[in-house]
Amino acid sequence: MNRGIRWVGYGIALAAVAFAVVLASRFGSDPGLVDSPLIGRSAPQFDLAPLEGGDPVSLADLDGNIVLVNFFASWCLQCRNEHDALTSTADAFADQGVTLVQISYQESPPNSISYLETAGRSEHAYYLADPGSRTAIGYGVFGIPETFFIDEQGIIVGKIIGESDAFTLGATIDAIKRGETPGQSVTGDTQQRPDQ
Amino acid sequence: MSERLRNILTVALLLVLATVLIALVATNPTAADRVESIGERIKCPVCQGESIANSPSQMARDMMALVEERVDDGAGDDEIIDELLFSYSGAVLLDPPARGPTLVLWIAPVAALVLGAGVIFWWRGHPGGGPGTDDVPVRSRARRLAPLLVLGGAFAVIVVVAGFFLQEREGPASGVANLAGQDLTEVSNETMEAVIAANVDHPQVDGMRLALAERYYETGDFRSAFPHYLAVAESPNAADPEAVTALIRLGWMAWEGNGEAGTALDLLDEALAIDSGSDTARYLKAQVLWCGAGDAAGAAELLQAVLGDPELADDSRELIQSDLDAIRSGDSCR
Repeated sequence: MNRGIRWVGYGIALAAVAFAVVLASRFGSDPGLVDSPLIGRSAPQFDLAPLEGGDPVSLADLDGNIVLVNFFASWCLQCRNEHDALTSTADAFADQGVTLVQISYQESPPNSISYLETAGRSEHAYYLADPGSRTAIGYGVFGIPETFFIDEQGIIVGKIIGESDAFTLGATIDAIKRGETPGQSVTGDTQQRPDQ
Repeated sequence: MSERLRNILTVALLLVLATVLIALVATNPTAADRVESIGERIKCPVCQGESIANSPSQMARDMMALVEERVDDGAGDDEIIDELLFSYSGAVLLDPPARGPTLVLWIAPVAALVLGAGVIFWWRGHPGGGPGTDDVPVRSRARRLAPLLVLGGAFAVIVVVAGFFLQEREGPASGVANLAGQDLTEVSNETMEAVIAANVDHPQVDGMRLALAERYYETGDFRSAFPHYLAVAESPNAADPEAVTALIRLGWMAWEGNGEAGTALDLLDEALAIDSGSDTARYLKAQVLWCGAGDAAGAAELLQAVLGDPELADDSRELIQSDLDAIRSGDSCR
């Protein structure tokens, strides 16, 4: 019995060490790499004004479309890298009922507008402001870029954390059109606002 | 009533009033207190282990503003927290919920404490039972090793299980289909066209172009196939086999579709300049020479060269031999 108790003590100590090893291995890892609980759920509604002002655009207006909701900012390097792919995808899939919505994340509209003037826009996409980050919070954004895929029924069926490319965007859209739920994918790092 | 009794009653009354007042204040926090309290429970999603109440980040300030607005609207604490959990999952709770898979995190320390205390008490109750008084007879080496093996196994199991629960969901396109590595037969023509249009300068687009062009070609849709073959043939990024295939197809379409023997021969020569041993290019060039350029001798020479390939399939060998025999017999092309 004495020996049994001793081994139990050793076991507890060992378990604690093992758990500490696992925790230590995660030290410094990205806390944003968690599964989004939104996959498979109705997409949070939004009603946001374009960056330049004007009539707001709501998700309900895009009912029946496959909608790509992308959070971006001019200070985000990965967003700059993926911008062309998003723009060309929006153009290429425009006649297939696919709409791109790019939402400015924690940046003043003038800065986002200035960035888009250089980076370019798709005439088939919407570029919206998100005062108070309400939509970003509603979509559970940890860092940018993050791109959500909403199917024709308004359900979030996919999410890309990190930089996208047109191959991945196209494949995901194709999977959604086949009625699949592509799920979440981490393609690279995300970024926080530099002053945080 | 004596003065002493009055004083005692006055003090008692004041104490009761003060207690009631303190209780009222404590049980009816102000809206600001509630906002602060909720904010202390929510982890700032862009920070490392800070609550949104304590973080100076813009995201934390925006989330605190949202909490404040919900409190002003009359929402309950749990309602507000549930709203954030809906978007972020339990990852934004500083204290994991005492239910579901995280329940073990709450129970484990208490269980360890109770077990530890039990061990200590048991030990104290058995003063002769210290680790150094082991009076068990000498055991075999295998029996001594057994507990170590069990503990080692347990260690490995704990690491694996904990690693599973804490793993990072990372990796290239782990969830979303990655077209670059995907079987293109599953991708629709429409999507391939759209992806190609979105990636005209992408170095990997030639493979997709060629796959799509081959699909069109096999259904006889030369008009749709042509621009993709042409793009691959002219692409500086195309691999040699891709360029050869595209040039061969273009050459054959020029002859078969438009009857342009000269163009066809130029394209097939380009393919042969890249891969001089291409049986397909040599065979098709022989066909064009024989049927379009009236050069039966040149055709025969090429066909003879193709027959020299030891890896030529039997049915192809039979077909080519038949053509060669026809040429040598002075027959017109078939």
